[in-house]
Order: sequence, then structure tokens, then C-alpha cells
Amino acid sequence: MSAEAARQPATGPIVDVRNVRKVYRRDAEEIVVLNGINVQVPNGEFLALMGPSGSGKTTLLNLIAGIDRPTSGEVIVAGTDVGRLSESELARWRSHNVGFIFQFYNLIPVLTALENVELPLLLTSLSKKERRERALTALKVVGLADRAGHYPRQLSGGQEQRVAIARAIVADPGVLVADEPTGDLDAKSAEEILALMESLNRDFGKTIIMVTHDPRAAEKAHTQKHLEKGVLKA
Amino acid sequence: MKFLPYILKHLRRNWVRTGSTILGMAVCIFLFCTLRTVLKAMDDARELGSVTRLVTRHAVSLVYNLPLSYEGQITQVKGVKRVAISSWFGGSLPAKKESQDKSAPDGGQPDFSKFFTNLAVEDEPYFAMHPEFSVPADEMKAFREDLRGCVIGRGLAKQFGWKVGDTFFLESFIPPYRRREGPFEFVVRGIYDADKVREPAADDRVMYFHYKYLYESTGRRVGAGLYVVELEDPKQGATVARAIDGIFENSEAETKSETEAAFRADFLAMIGNLALLLNSIGLAVIFTILLVTANTMSMAVRERRTEIAVLKTLGFTSRQVMGLILAEALTIGALGGGIGLGLSVVIMRVMTRVPAIGGFINGFPNFGPHWSVSGQGLGIALFLGLAAGLMPALAAYRSRITEMLRQV
Repeated sequence: MSAEAARQPATGPIVDVRNVRKVYRRDAEEIVVLNGINVQVPNGEFLALMGPSGSGKTTLLNLIAGIDRPTSGEVIVAGTDVGRLSESELARWRSHNVGFIFQFYNLIPVLTALENVELPLLLTSLSKKERRERALTALKVVGLADRAGHYPRQLSGGQEQRVAIARAIVADPGVLVADEPTGDLDAKSAEEILALMESLNRDFGKTIIMVTHDPRAAEKAHTQKHLEKGVLKA
Repeated sequence: MKFLPYILKHLRRNWVRTGSTILGMAVCIFLFCTLRTVLKAMDDARELGSVTRLVTRHAVSLVYNLPLSYEGQITQVKGVKRVAISSWFGGSLPAKKESQDKSAPDGGQPDFSKFFTNLAVEDEPYFAMHPEFSVPADEMKAFREDLRGCVIGRGLAKQFGWKVGDTFFLESFIPPYRRREGPFEFVVRGIYDADKVREPAADDRVMYFHYKYLYESTGRRVGAGLYVVELEDPKQGATVARAIDGIFENSEAETKSETEAAFRADFLAMIGNLALLLNSIGLAVIFTILLVTANTMSMAVRERRTEIAVLKTLGFTSRQVMGLILAEALTIGALGGGIGLGLSVVIMRVMTRVPAIGGFINGFPNFGPHWSVSGQGLGIALFLGLAAGLMPALAAYRSRITEMLRQV
């Protein structure tokens, strides 16, 4: 199935999760992580996914980000049924459509902030100069242009997360997924990160889906959804 | 190419580990190239050598001399044009006459660090059957008229700074060739040039002197080290060799006659099964480095599981991630191979100037860096890098993002 064939008309929600079930198998045992999930996220939405540990939040986020596949059901993001793409098609699709923000930032320690941000652009046909310019612009958006030459070890946790956000937005994806982006930060840094995400949503029109345990973080979202034992609660 | 800075930055991440792996690879390729160069020089030495000449020696070993009476009998064999005695003297400098004084620093013993090939030959037939050596007529005349005279190659003259008229002493380490009155005195009467186009094996670092001098100085007791036999027809080599050996069959000193090339091969085989030994060492080193490099790459990749997951999350395909790891391993191979190759070239050049070792090495007509050996060395380095990186690269290829992120 090609990426083009999997592409659906770009009307309706930017994220459309239809009757998704995700089952992990450990030996003969089946663990149902998500069971009959239906979620529609409109374009420009800021959604917070909440729930206790093991409720399936991160799994749902991974399905939406296209880094995992549902056992059954459909996950349509930006008009593409991601479950029907091959591995390499899915990788290419991710690079264009989704920006991922991790809890522990996951910056490459041997690369500077600028090089980390530039990393997704290596997959494009942009020239080195264009890549550098775009990466620097992304760093400016997160307020870290002056730290472009710093390595992750030379940055604070909040700054690292901002670099990670710059890396997530540098390819200009429509959807940002964040897995507990403030989970490893102090309150002040967390506040700054949330403000930045609000700004990205409000000023740049990014659709944000954020997994969080933190009610204060969830309050920043337009919508909150709760998962429990793999089922969405109203 | 846009990924190259990324690859190089990763190699610098743990520079001690990367450096030691590259160094290990360099040592491996250095050993391989050096050993292969020695083997190639030996192989070339076997292939070279005139087809118009045979060498007849004692069937048991080169250590034993042949009776002088054989010369006449060999000359009678059909197809033989000329015969000349050639005895390996084994003399060394600077066994000066005055050094027989036991209080002298060297105790009168030969200095093997200045060893070079010196042969006692029957000059007329020997030089007649070796047209690749050219000696000016007046020098040859002077040589023939002086029993202590010798003819040396241009390379040897350059090495020791000798010129016509110079005198030096040699002491042989072979007991029958040593005499009570002390070392042999020689006078340089001629300097020959070796025509390597005519005869690739022609060596200009050899000294020739009169067999008669050796024979008479040692109480007329020594035989002939070997006989060099010139053929009337090179195609008849095998027939003539069989005929010569047939004459002396069942005698006290049976002979073994063979072409010069075969003689060289036999001579080199005296060192033992050197080729097998060197090849075994080379293979053992290569295998060890393969394990070391594979281990290094595995560790490097295992430490970066999260980064691999992040790369895939960002949109790198599994093939691209695999390619990055293989490129990293190849870079280690290329750097190690390049350094090892360079080291080998430098060491080989230096070795030719080292006393004693240099003399032995220079005896090979084709010793030195060769593109085929260098190519093999670099090829092995790249192969080792590729092989070492293959398993971790495949593991990264197959890895699933969610599993790798979960193991953080």
C-alpha cells in the first residue's frame, strides 16, 4: 500500500482514531492495552490525554505518531491511514507530518543544539545553508538561538526540552505529540514549556496531543480525555 | 555526504574506545601488509631467475659441498654449454686483520650487521654465463690478474662507499672457510652494473671473488658449493638436469639439479614453511581484530538504543539507520586500514636501512610496497569494518521504536 493510496480526503479531523484495539502478546498471554478507542481531534486542537500508569496513554500516542501499529482499527492522521503504510513509508510520513516531544528530551549528546534541531532536515533535499537557517529559526521560536552551539550537557533540563521542541517543529509538521513533556522538569521550567506549547498551538496552528499526569499541564489544553484500562472515559 | 559529520561526531563520542579500535585495526593491517609484502617478495623471487641456467647442488643439503671432479663430468653432459663453481662464502665485515687481537672490541668475530652476499666463483665461465653483469674490460682484466681481487656490485659499492683499489677484510662464519692466519683480504678490482631489464633477479649488492683464492687459502680441501650450468637450449633444462643427476646417482654425493627459479624456491624453503606461518599469523590477527571491532561496534550501538529509536521517530528509515551504523564501522575500517598501510610502507622503507635485516631484505628483487598488497590490505580493513558493523546494524534495522524507547 503506497502513501498516496493510503491518503484519505483531507476533510474532517486531523486525527481520527477509529475503533482501535492494541494487544500485546507475552507468550500465550494477551494483554489488551487499548480496547475500542475512538478519538477525533480537530485541526488546531490542544488535547491532553490523562490517566493512570498502564492505562494506554503512551500506546495511543505512539499509534497517532505512527511509531506503532494498531492490532485492529484505523488510525488516520492528516488524511493518511498510518496502519496501512509500510515501514519505510511510515518513516517518511512521520518526518513530514508528526513532531515528537519526549519526556527525557532524547537529544543526541554529541550534537550541538543546532545540529540536533537540524537532524530531521537531513532527510530533506534542502541545502546545508537552508537546513542551518531553518534550524536556527526553530531555535529562535523556542528562544534558544543564542545557545545554538551548545551541547545538551551544557543546557538545563528546560532548555534541553525547548531544543527538543525546536527539533519537533523544524520540519513544520501539522501534529505535535508530546509524551509527558514536563515530567522531568521543575515547576518553573514546566511552566515555560507549557507556555511554549500553547504558543505553538495558538500562534502557529499546531495540533498538539499531550500525554500527562500533571493536572496543571492538562489545564493548558483545550480538551482533556481520560484513559482507564485501555478505554476512553467521557 | 551530509551524514558524514554526524558519523564522525559519533566516532568521537568515546574517543578512547574508537581510537583503540582504529589502532587495533591499524596494527592488523600493518601486520597483514608487511607479511604479505614479504611473501610476495618471496613469490617473486621464486618466479624470477634465468631459464638458461641450472644450479647443481648436493642432493642432501646446501650445507654439503660437491667434489671438484664433478665439474668435468657435468661439462660432458649433452646440452651443457658452460659450468662454473659458485660457493657461498658467508663473509662479514669488519673482521679486520688486526682484530684478531682478542683484546679488540669485537674479539675478532664477524659483524653480522654488515652482512652481504659474497660468492667465490670461477670468474671466466661465471661472468660469461651472466651477461646481465657488465664490468668494464680493464677492471675485469685487473680482477683476473689479482688472486685477492674482487668484483662488487654498484649497490654494494654505494652501500659501503667502496671504489676500485679499496681493500677490506672478510671473515666467514663457515668453519671450513676460516683460516688460521685470519680473515681474507680483498681488493676491489671492478664494479659491475646489473641489467635488471635483461634479468630481473640480477642483484647489484653481491661481491664475487676468485674461487681459487678460497680453495688455496683453505688448504685445497674445500669442494664446490654448487655448480652453475649454462644450457645450450633453455628448453632442454629438465632433460639436462635429469642427465646430470643421473651421473651421480648412488654416489657418495648425489646431486640435485634444478632451474635457478626452483633453486631460489628451495633456498627460501630452508627458512621453513614461512608462507604458512606468516599466513597463519595474518589470519589469526585478522580474526582477532574482527572480534574486537565487532565487540566495539556492538557496545557502541547498544549504548545508543534510545538514539536509534529517536532517529527512527524523526523519520529515518530502518535502512538509513543501518546505513549510518555500517558507515561508522566502515570509517573505522578505512581509518585503521589507511594508518596501518601507511605504517607498513614507512616500516618497510626503514627496514631496508636497518643493518643485517636490510641486507636480507635487499636480497629480494622485488621487496617493497605493492599496489596489490595495499589493495588487499585496504580491502580487508573495509571488510573487517563492514563485518564488524553488520550484526549491530541488522539489530538496529530490526529494532522497534517502542521497544527501544521502553528500555530507557
